[in-house]
Amino acid sequence: MKIEDVVCSFCGCLCDDLVVEVEGTRVISVENGCTLASEKFLGDHRLKTPIRRDGNSWTKISYDEAIAETAEILLDADRPLLYGWSGTFGEAQSVGVHLAEILGAVIDNTSTVCHGPSILAIQEVGHPGCTLGQVKNRADVVVYWGANPVDAHPRHMSRYTTYCDGFFRKDAFKDRKVIVVDVRDTESSILADEFVKVNPGGDYAVLSALRAIVRGKRGIIPPEVEGVSREQLFRVADICMSAKFGAVFFGVGLTMAPGKNKNIRNAIEFTEELSRHTKFTISPMRGHWNVYGSNEVFTWISGYPYAVDFARGIAFYNPGETTSVDILKRGECDACLVVASDPGAHFPKECAEHLARIPTVQIDPHVNVTTHLSRIQIPVAVAGIDAEGTAYRMDGVPIRTRKLFQGQYPDDFEVLEKIYAIVKEAKG
Amino acid sequence: MRVILKTRPRAKPKIPIEAEEIIPQNFLRKNDIRVYEGNKERALDDLFFVTYEGPAVSPDQVEIVLTGDTGVIKRVGEYMNAGRIIIEGDIGMHCGNFMSAGEILIRGNADAWLGREMRGGHILCEGNSGHYCAAGYRGEKRGMRGGIVEVRGNSGDFTAEYLSGGEVIIHGDCGDLPGVEMRGGTLVIGGDCSRPCGNMTGGTCMIFGEAHKFLPTFRKNGTDDIVYAGKHYLMNLFRGDVANRGKGTLMVRQ
Ligand code: SF4
Repeated sequence: MKIEDVVCSFCGCLCDDLVVEVEGTRVISVENGCTLASEKFLGDHRLKTPIRRDGNSWTKISYDEAIAETAEILLDADRPLLYGWSGTFGEAQSVGVHLAEILGAVIDNTSTVCHGPSILAIQEVGHPGCTLGQVKNRADVVVYWGANPVDAHPRHMSRYTTYCDGFFRKDAFKDRKVIVVDVRDTESSILADEFVKVNPGGDYAVLSALRAIVRGKRGIIPPEVEGVSREQLFRVADICMSAKFGAVFFGVGLTMAPGKNKNIRNAIEFTEELSRHTKFTISPMRGHWNVYGSNEVFTWISGYPYAVDFARGIAFYNPGETTSVDILKRGECDACLVVASDPGAHFPKECAEHLARIPTVQIDPHVNVTTHLSRIQIPVAVAGIDAEGTAYRMDGVPIRTRKLFQGQYPDDFEVLEKIYAIVKEAKG
Repeated sequence: MRVILKTRPRAKPKIPIEAEEIIPQNFLRKNDIRVYEGNKERALDDLFFVTYEGPAVSPDQVEIVLTGDTGVIKRVGEYMNAGRIIIEGDIGMHCGNFMSAGEILIRGNADAWLGREMRGGHILCEGNSGHYCAAGYRGEKRGMRGGIVEVRGNSGDFTAEYLSGGEVIIHGDCGDLPGVEMRGGTLVIGGDCSRPCGNMTGGTCMIFGEAHKFLPTFRKNGTDDIVYAGKHYLMNLFRGDVANRGKGTLMVRQ
């Protein structure tokens, strides 16, 4: 059976034009998707049943046993951490926040290792953003800063920028100018009209210089700023100021460079400065599928988008203190529930070591690096394949994903609801 | 009155303790001081051996001495308005949050957010301080507004972020972006730092060591012979941050 308009559940683009062929409980082909999408839909390395570590081996256990033991681990803890959430849908994320509140836990999502600094900057100076549809139809200048869409968001350029005609951009490839700013040559920089190669860690200074130029202070700029010539800086500023509609997209190359949130704040203030001359917008290239949704859901319920600490019964938020990497590095938490993420693969070594020391439970369809650090793993249906729910695209547009077939696994929502029910009963 | 708080051994010593009630004024008025260990509320006695010595009739006469494994205790001295706290070792995050008067002496190192949004009083840290020393909370437009924070050792990144008043003196080196978004007050850095005062709009920063990765958006404004702590120094003067129509003063020793 061929199913049309399927939403991809891999990256933050949430492409909603995939055609997926399904036979029974297997996906057999994917059309329109990039290679990342094909890998996601056709990958077949699912864990079959819940497992529990017994010494050096694993024992198969039932869902009820796994759920009861998970609840017990979380109830016993004085500082539990609930981490992940970007690979699941909003309904499950919502149960997660309620579970954290009732447990007095810290709940954090993968923003902590990607666009957390963007959120901090937005909280300082706001977010002059727009939807991807606006960019597609209007933008004549697109800036990718510290982002490599060809590799990380393979269809971003073909659906929204360089290769995509829009209502006011009839011949996009000719009409749009693309500027790429990065510390190294990438697949995306090859496609740029203007490639600005910045010294590693030099983004903040380059952004400050561009702001000064746009403010009419060209005289202050030295001949070279962090590897970028004054002439090129002037040229980039002129391209941006003469745009009819400009869009900046930034990636983890900027958020995780030295200065972190201050880089993003500088980029936002550069965008605001440009908006005194023309229309300019700025947006993060969110990577993990529904990480934007986890920020939304956490914020509706707790008031904060990530790193929310419920230890005192009320929500407290302070990235650097309540973020999972920091908590794990300091060895603070005494139990961890990982949902729809793989911190074992992304976190620093000392964090992974602490996860292995404490009782860690993972709710995830696949065997991954975190499996090897966990005491229990509970396999679930894959969001967007055999589980349905709402996810947010990188520009904040919610999109409903569908279940392509009825599989044998419960979804994240069902498993978390059961854990929540046990914890609620125990807490009275 | 002298109150001595010695930490008791704990089964999970890395779980942070939140102790914003440890301030001199509380030891006069309250006899039920509560602290938190992770998500569990505890009585002060559960986590500390408590000894009282001598009388006091006002908070000014209260001195608290913290000893033992104090490096994971957060928020000590929060909203303190009188008296003295002496920490014999290290102290956890947010020591002296919002304090308006009194004195905190830390003989070891202080973790991040030392003197966050402080309004008055004096903090002296004899060791090093972590990131965001004398800064503001996330999204807050003003950091420290008054008082003095002095660190004898080094300080981490984003020292004195959003500094709006008072004086921050770091005798050693600072990390990246000290004085970022600074809008008032005085920041003194005895050693080296990198990218000082990005986006500053006001206040004065003096650097007596090397300023690495100096930002291109500060305008040279001559030199000046200044007297600091009784000594003469020839300083290069800069105005900025021009990226933000800044009117701050940045001085770097020649
Ligand atoms: S660009 Fe992203 S959302 Fe679109 S098909 Fe590729 S992986 Fe999926």
